[in-house]
Amino acid sequence: MERNPDKFWNPYVAGVALGLVLLASFVVMGNGLGASGASLRFGVAALGAVAPGAVEASPALARAAAQGHPLDFWLVFEIAGVLLGGFVAAYTSGRLKLETLKGPTFRTGARIGMALLGGLIMGAAARATRGCTSGQALSGGALLSVGSWAFMFSVFGGGYALAYFTRRQWR
Amino acid sequence: MTFPLWSLSADRHELGLVVAVAIGFGFGFVLERAGFGRAQKLAAQFYGYDMTVFKVMFSSIVTAMLGTVILSGLGVLDYRALIDHAASETFLWPMIAGGFALGVGFIVSGYCPGTSYVAAASGKLDGMVTVAGVVAGQLAYAGLEHQPWLARLHTSGAMGHFYLWELLHLPPKVGPAVVAIAVTAMAVGCFIGAEKLEALLAKGHPPAPASPAGRQGRLVFAGMGALALVGIAMAALPTGTAAAGARNPAGIDAAELARRVLDAPWSVRVLDLRAMADCAARRVPGAQCVPREQLGTLRLGDETGAVDLVLVSDGDVTELPRDVAAYPGRVAALAGGWKAWEAYALTPPVAPAPGALPAELETYRLRAGLASALTGMKAAPPPPAPTAAPGGPGKKGGGGGCGG
Repeated sequence: MERNPDKFWNPYVAGVALGLVLLASFVVMGNGLGASGASLRFGVAALGAVAPGAVEASPALARAAAQGHPLDFWLVFEIAGVLLGGFVAAYTSGRLKLETLKGPTFRTGARIGMALLGGLIMGAAARATRGCTSGQALSGGALLSVGSWAFMFSVFGGGYALAYFTRRQWR
Repeated sequence: MTFPLWSLSADRHELGLVVAVAIGFGFGFVLERAGFGRAQKLAAQFYGYDMTVFKVMFSSIVTAMLGTVILSGLGVLDYRALIDHAASETFLWPMIAGGFALGVGFIVSGYCPGTSYVAAASGKLDGMVTVAGVVAGQLAYAGLEHQPWLARLHTSGAMGHFYLWELLHLPPKVGPAVVAIAVTAMAVGCFIGAEKLEALLAKGHPPAPASPAGRQGRLVFAGMGALALVGIAMAALPTGTAAAGARNPAGIDAAELARRVLDAPWSVRVLDLRAMADCAARRVPGAQCVPREQLGTLRLGDETGAVDLVLVSDGDVTELPRDVAAYPGRVAALAGGWKAWEAYALTPPVAPAPGALPAELETYRLRAGLASALTGMKAAPPPPAPTAAPGGPGKKGGGGGCGG
């Protein structure tokens, strides 16, 4: 197998492959793919370990912890699979490397700060939207949900609106 | 109807989680190979010169959409049960506002929540930090969402389960297929446009278009077109999506029915198919007594289908009566039939132990209220007069009959 870190699958072939994974998920589990729901469970598990009172104080967090262990949830296992699949794919394509991705002239510390800030914004936003680009746009979009399509256009709108101001990250 | 298999149901929990890992593996592997573990490639979408994100996302949406519609057309997938379970309800305003914010977060961090996991798994420090940020952001929002100032936004624009063909007022039998074909046509049109745009913008940059369609891409377009034609054929055949899709009613459990009947009685019409005498004695609040042989008189096929129909029978309803199958809207049957309702709603629940979780308390409150309201009526007939004032005990159950 050739290992060229700059060679990717044809985007349409990758899309069809991703669509088949999603279809399998629908047909076998009766659920779509997701990501941010697992992030909440990781958060509740971590917060419950250091400050159980904080989990009890919020109805939404308590609900996530209500049915047994917060990590005993299918999305957590799905994300474990994502990490494994991502790792194997990165290793076999030569892209497995400890590094920070950014433009050559942008400072590493600043890039880490931006990544953290962006993550925070997305985490909060994905809670308001009942799912992120995986659960809402991809899965809900394929199921023709009105909210998912409104969300999808909004995501592209938000990205394009701010792209100009963050362009230096990638130079 | 064989699918979905509901591999996550409680009776095979461990196996379901193994399936989840396997599907996640496929998800992560494909995302990485598409280039979604690399922030520059994802961010490039928003600068126009590499539309990989758009191409991958829409071809996967089209694939899964055509797959579900065709499988339900073949009669092997319970489409309505799948979409109502797998898609979230629509909350329009938080979804638009949150979507915009998520797009902002996307371009700031260079990842979306799912791809940040892939980047983290391939050793990218910025991906790991984004994962941590998403976790913290989820916690912060979830910790605050019950506060009145946020709860108002969080639940605004609630439209329930709402789908594109309902928005377009298409009949539910052919709606999904029609919309799927339109979305496929639109997507292929946009793909060709994206190719042209990339080629145009790449003129200034040396390394030509970043992710050209090529031969494989054109094959994919052709495949999507062919499948869309299959979809048209199915929508056109009267026995396609329509008849096959409606034969098995979706199940609704007693708890869900109770919630619907109490919280949103206008959204549901309950038909009690048991013998007239049984139904007249006791029934689900607001239910219409319609023994099976009288179903034809309701002319359900002429209704608009705006409210959901729920059938209550002696046991499970395995096959829809023909007169009900003609109903254009959603039809569900009470799982377990009247016995399940009796066990859930007419039997007082066991009080939860002290220190029970809020969710348990909530369930108890609902059930206890329901049981006392309904069985109280049954116990009322003996003498004490004062409580009987608001309305005769016997008549009350028929109050919702105006729905019919």
